Amino acid sequence: MLRIEHLTKIYADGTLALDDVSFEVPDGEFLVVLGLSGAGKSTLLRCINRLIEPTAGRIIWDGTDITAASGEELRQIRRHIGMIFQEFNLVERTSVLTNVLTGRLGYVNPWLSIFHHFPKGEVDRALRNLDRVGIADLAHKRADELSGGQRQRVGIARALMQEPRLMLADEPVASLDPVLAHSILRYLEQLNQEDGITVICSLHFLDLVRRYASHVVGLKNGRVVFQGLPEEITDQRFKEIYGEEAERVTVT
Amino acid sequence: MERKKSPVLSSILSLIIPGLGQVYAGSPSRGAAFFTAVAITALLVHWQGNGPLYTGVVVAWLWNVWDAYNLARERRISPALPFLVIALTLYIIGWRVTEINLRRLLTDVADVKPLVSNLFHPAVFERDIEKLVGEVQFESPCSDSPPPKGTPLEDEPYLVFVDKTCGDPGDTFTIEGGNFWPSSKGYIWWSNLAGEMQFRVRYKGNYLTFETDEEGRIPPITVVVQEPFAEAKGKGPQLYRVQARMQREVGSPHLSRTFFLVVEKMIVTIFLALMATTIAIFIAIPISFLAARNLMGGNPISMAIYYIVRTILNIMRSIEPLIMAIIFVVWVGLGPFAGVLALAVHSIAALGKLYSEAVESIDPGPIEAITATGANRLQTIVYAVIPQIVPPYLAFTIYRWDINVRMSTIIGFVGGGGIGYLLQQWIRLLMYKEAGAAVWAIAIVVAIMDYASAKVREIII
Repeated sequence: MLRIEHLTKIYADGTLALDDVSFEVPDGEFLVVLGLSGAGKSTLLRCINRLIEPTAGRIIWDGTDITAASGEELRQIRRHIGMIFQEFNLVERTSVLTNVLTGRLGYVNPWLSIFHHFPKGEVDRALRNLDRVGIADLAHKRADELSGGQRQRVGIARALMQEPRLMLADEPVASLDPVLAHSILRYLEQLNQEDGITVICSLHFLDLVRRYASHVVGLKNGRVVFQGLPEEITDQRFKEIYGEEAERVTVT
Repeated sequence: MERKKSPVLSSILSLIIPGLGQVYAGSPSRGAAFFTAVAITALLVHWQGNGPLYTGVVVAWLWNVWDAYNLARERRISPALPFLVIALTLYIIGWRVTEINLRRLLTDVADVKPLVSNLFHPAVFERDIEKLVGEVQFESPCSDSPPPKGTPLEDEPYLVFVDKTCGDPGDTFTIEGGNFWPSSKGYIWWSNLAGEMQFRVRYKGNYLTFETDEEGRIPPITVVVQEPFAEAKGKGPQLYRVQARMQREVGSPHLSRTFFLVVEKMIVTIFLALMATTIAIFIAIPISFLAARNLMGGNPISMAIYYIVRTILNIMRSIEPLIMAIIFVVWVGLGPFAGVLALAVHSIAALGKLYSEAVESIDPGPIEAITATGANRLQTIVYAVIPQIVPPYLAFTIYRWDINVRMSTIIGFVGGGGIGYLLQQWIRLLMYKEAGAAVWAIAIVVAIMDYASAKVREIII
């Protein structure tokens, strides 16, 4: 159970990105965070693993206060939270295998890892995870030779290396062809249903939300404007989240 | 409502000081431009002291009055005419001060022909030299017992006196000889008995030559008795060696001594550039982090360090390596070490800036992603930062080495060692064939470095 209490983030330039956000995520949920660009979705996800430091509020995960964790504790917590990104954030010019192995850095011997040494077992694990996302044959290619869809699968394989209990997905399909969006989201759905990993995913398209989400949080200007089931999002609700002039866009 | 401006007042103001009328008419930037243009042109023409050129100044000045008149009546006229007049005046001055002389360029082209021809015949190959010498001893002035006339030898080249064997400076005597190479030319040499003072004898301004017949005999030649060497003056009768010398090239061509010298100095030059670049790398890497805005932003102290480091780098980069080399030659003496230091200092500045720009342009995404996996700070640097900065660092370094090889040849001209130093000496000694070899070596090595560094950079980026 992840509980977010009165989370507020004000950036150094005075921008109010999150304004007293509170909600709960029960284990095993596929929660979609819905909202316009700039609504605070990315800030919210990054506050959960503290890539961004919240200004106020608490985040409690299975009884542990993430917001209070210090350096080493925070790294222990982060190990169990996978994250995938809109821009994939792979290390270009490095092999796919190495990119996937970096997902294991929190577990392996830090001194050996600095010399790019990983135990055989971890390499096997990386290959298994690549196989799981269907790109085992690309293990020795350089990351920058891959297509967008392949890169995001590398991103998922990297997150899987952490054996996560929670997966944060920041607009995972916004940089991809709509056709590829389903293939990526299906992997997330599979992780959610087969491995019981809690997923918190920010998305743009309502069709995708209806198809994959088990629960939805709508954000607008840093505030929660909707909490509920995907089928509860009527056109009226949609307009509340996206503004009056919004029209629904269909994704095949 | 705006107050009306008087065109007449405006004109008069501009007549007194160019541009003043324009300021009065409400166009201060136009006024400043006129004032600057007319003032600078007038000063330059005055400095040149050339009467006719004042025409340009006068035209521009009068036009400026006309412009002020029109501006006051709220009409803007195109400044093309004064612009052209001033430009023409400046170009005429430029032509004069740089002493451009096209006629000389055409008429004196013959002067450069031997030089260019020598550069295209670099002293890369040479043949062995074989020498033949025959000599007799002459006495000047005469003593009581003058030396013998000499005797013809059986197999070796020889010289004998025909008439006298002693005499005063300015007298003439005759020699002949045999057993030299047949039908060949040679020179007559004069030296003291010890042989350390010697020179080729001249006759009426030209070197005294001879040519042997088919049997290798030297026909009788008249030689003038030379003035005594400085240390023999007033010491009474001295013996001198009179020699007939011939030389010819034998055997097949082989690589010359010049070639090996050039190769050696070229290697020194490449190492000079390598050492300078390497020293620069070690200093530039830490500096580059201090000069990267994305790492130093955040608090005022680090920002201050950032600005200070940037300023120092910019100042260092603006000092030519040639000037650095002159300073270091004075400091550590002539030779490659001075060159290494000069190039290193300049490279630190150049690499520091390039490296810091590479750091500034790294993608924060991978850093974020690897931090999110629970990796520690060092792991994040190893896996997310280093892979991003190594290729640009390598590329810039190889590029810099390439530039340093090119620069080190020039550095040599002011005493920084390497091939440049040798080239500069050969040019001053008018040894253009040797200089040609050095020029070719530089051209070839620079071209190879240029190509190789471009290829390597292509691969790693």
